[in-house]
Amino acid sequence: MLKRWILDFAYFLDTSKSYQKRKRFFSNILENNKNKYKKYIDIFMVILIFISVAVLIREVKHHVNDELMFFSNYIISFIFFIEYILRLWINSSVSKIIVARAEHDTFLHREVNLLKAFKQVLKVKFAYILSPQALIDLFAILPFFHELRLLRMFILFRVFKLFRYAKSFQTLASVLGTKKFEFLTLGIFAAIVIFISSVLIYVMEGNNPASPINTLFEAVYWSIVTISTVGYGDMVPVTHEGRFVALLVIMAGISVLAFTTSLFVSAFTEKLDEIREIKIIEDVSKLKKFYLVCGYESVSREVARKLSSSGNNVIIIDENLQRIERAKKDGFTALNYNPGRVESYENLNIDMKKQVKAVLCLREDDIENVYAALTIRSINKDVFILSLLINDSNRQKLDFAGINTVVYPQELIGLITKELIGKPVAFEVIHELRSENADVKIDELGVTQRIVDNFPTVGELGNKEFRVVLLGVYKHKRDRFYFNPIDDTLLEIGDYLLVVGYQIFILEFEKYLHTKVKNG
Amino acid sequence: MVKTTALIFGHNKYADEIVANVKDKYEQIRIFSLHEDDVQASETKIEIFDLSDKWTELTKNVDISKSMAFCVLEDTAENIFLTISLRANFKELTIIAVASNSESANKLTMAGANKVIPLVETTSDIIANMLEKPISSKILHSILYEESALKIAQIKINKESHFKDEQLTSIDWTRYNGIIVLSVMHEDMKSEFIYSSKAKHHVIREGDILIVVGYETDIAEFEKKIGSNRYVNWSHWGW
Repeated sequence: MLKRWILDFAYFLDTSKSYQKRKRFFSNILENNKNKYKKYIDIFMVILIFISVAVLIREVKHHVNDELMFFSNYIISFIFFIEYILRLWINSSVSKIIVARAEHDTFLHREVNLLKAFKQVLKVKFAYILSPQALIDLFAILPFFHELRLLRMFILFRVFKLFRYAKSFQTLASVLGTKKFEFLTLGIFAAIVIFISSVLIYVMEGNNPASPINTLFEAVYWSIVTISTVGYGDMVPVTHEGRFVALLVIMAGISVLAFTTSLFVSAFTEKLDEIREIKIIEDVSKLKKFYLVCGYESVSREVARKLSSSGNNVIIIDENLQRIERAKKDGFTALNYNPGRVESYENLNIDMKKQVKAVLCLREDDIENVYAALTIRSINKDVFILSLLINDSNRQKLDFAGINTVVYPQELIGLITKELIGKPVAFEVIHELRSENADVKIDELGVTQRIVDNFPTVGELGNKEFRVVLLGVYKHKRDRFYFNPIDDTLLEIGDYLLVVGYQIFILEFEKYLHTKVKNG
Repeated sequence: MVKTTALIFGHNKYADEIVANVKDKYEQIRIFSLHEDDVQASETKIEIFDLSDKWTELTKNVDISKSMAFCVLEDTAENIFLTISLRANFKELTIIAVASNSESANKLTMAGANKVIPLVETTSDIIANMLEKPISSKILHSILYEESALKIAQIKINKESHFKDEQLTSIDWTRYNGIIVLSVMHEDMKSEFIYSSKAKHHVIREGDILIVVGYETDIAEFEKKIGSNRYVNWSHWGW
């Protein structure tokens, strides 16, 4: 009966949307770095940690306000306890383990063995409880029992909790973790030297009444102080033999120090690029909108420059390290990932739907562009993809790969030449309008509800007063451009006004359109 | 002077696209290649040339003053050398050159090309405009390159023109339905936007060129009304 009840409850939890939603919510705010609330939780926890430590320091020589003591000992401990329990809860799913065991046993026509499931649950939970971070969390709660004076020292364990909340600490730990073997070797070497020198100095100096080193503890203390090259000078060997041992320890100490320093430096140097990349990926995941440029060659370089100069975020990915280095040198956010692999986008945590304005496949190689486009299309069906076409015979393949717009430079040359020889001045005028450095520009202003309310018709816009030419109105609903519309043309929400003029006057005109008060 | 012959130097995709787009505009199109292989492989007639500065063959049967040269060699150094060689020999020849980037575009201009099309910059301009200003990009593209009803034209003010000696801003352009005057180009080859402070006080003189946008019929009517015609002068490429 109890077994049935447990199984039903496990299935209920496993399928309950509200339970899973709540669990996901706590999991996100505690563990998911992308969650917008997590950083506030982290900051709150860090503040609590510093309050605890401040109270501990103050308490050494001064009386601490009773309320503050209560807050530090009980409230903060209680908050940490809640956090500990939540982490223990979200770390693994008990219901999932029970359901999996039940499914497994049912499939094999066996009676469901709940004992095995519970064993599995305990194993998983204890693995978490015994993990260093969970142990630190547990010790940080212990000052709750502050009457035990020793336990108050555990407040310092709260400082270790900073590792959880500060990313840089985690990075430091992961960097040093890569040199685990080297640090272990160094530790063993230092321990052997300390052990031998401690015994030797004790043997040499222990029976000498003039020597300050009288016990084995003092010998170990002297060895550590000497090998670390600190050398307080409160204890010095007085015998020749003892001084000889000191010489050896000093030499060993220099090598230990040099070895330690080089280990730190090499660990950081080796990991520096990786750390930077992690930082870039984090920054990219925080961007709201950006253009994703696949491949960094001459055209992509210029496009990226133009787009970023008009205030857009541009992210470049390329599998070639040299090209990525060049992109970085040019000041772009560039990542050495293969645009043709799905895992690249998974590792980069890019949300194609929400974050990417458009994907630009700008390798000067049709095969690479098709490959990248197909990969992106397999991830998201709607994202806008623009690609360069190098060989016209491949146009169909690019269309087939789901590319929305294809730009074929050779064709452009033909069209430009045709226009140039027919209307050179007119061509230059239009070219100037499109050029990023020109004073006179063509711009498109979206028609909003406010504009429609204040300026129902084209004649009421008053663009001439702002020295702005209204080239026409693009009617979004009808997908049609009305050149030089008559004054009575009605404006609708979603329309675009195509205007030509000096940038500054266009901006003033736009501001006027958006700020004019109705009937004012 | 009317250009009747197109001299295309280089046999590649650029040359093919240029031929496809300009073949109706010239009486004669001649394609030149540096490589013997091109002559045998191609179905169209291709002539061989070298960069040795011997243009006697060319001058025998081509009127250089009525020709326009397109330098589209893929090797940048060769293209620059070809341009400089043509300019050194033919002062009056109009030369259009294709450059891979702005750096070689500068060199080609220095070598004497009248107009240089920097491939990378032009392509990237178009891509950036497509993304940032899709509507204007589409409209301008259709005005410039497609067979749309909307056209851009350059109209020269001549002796009989209505607007001669009138102040640019005093003219009521709305009288000319369907026409938008974008800018005016003075005789000194400086182009001014219609609403610029300089254009405000500008008095229209003979030789000025108006850049207008409108439907073909409206432009034709405008020409008739003001007594001026569409005009092309190759020397305008200098500005």
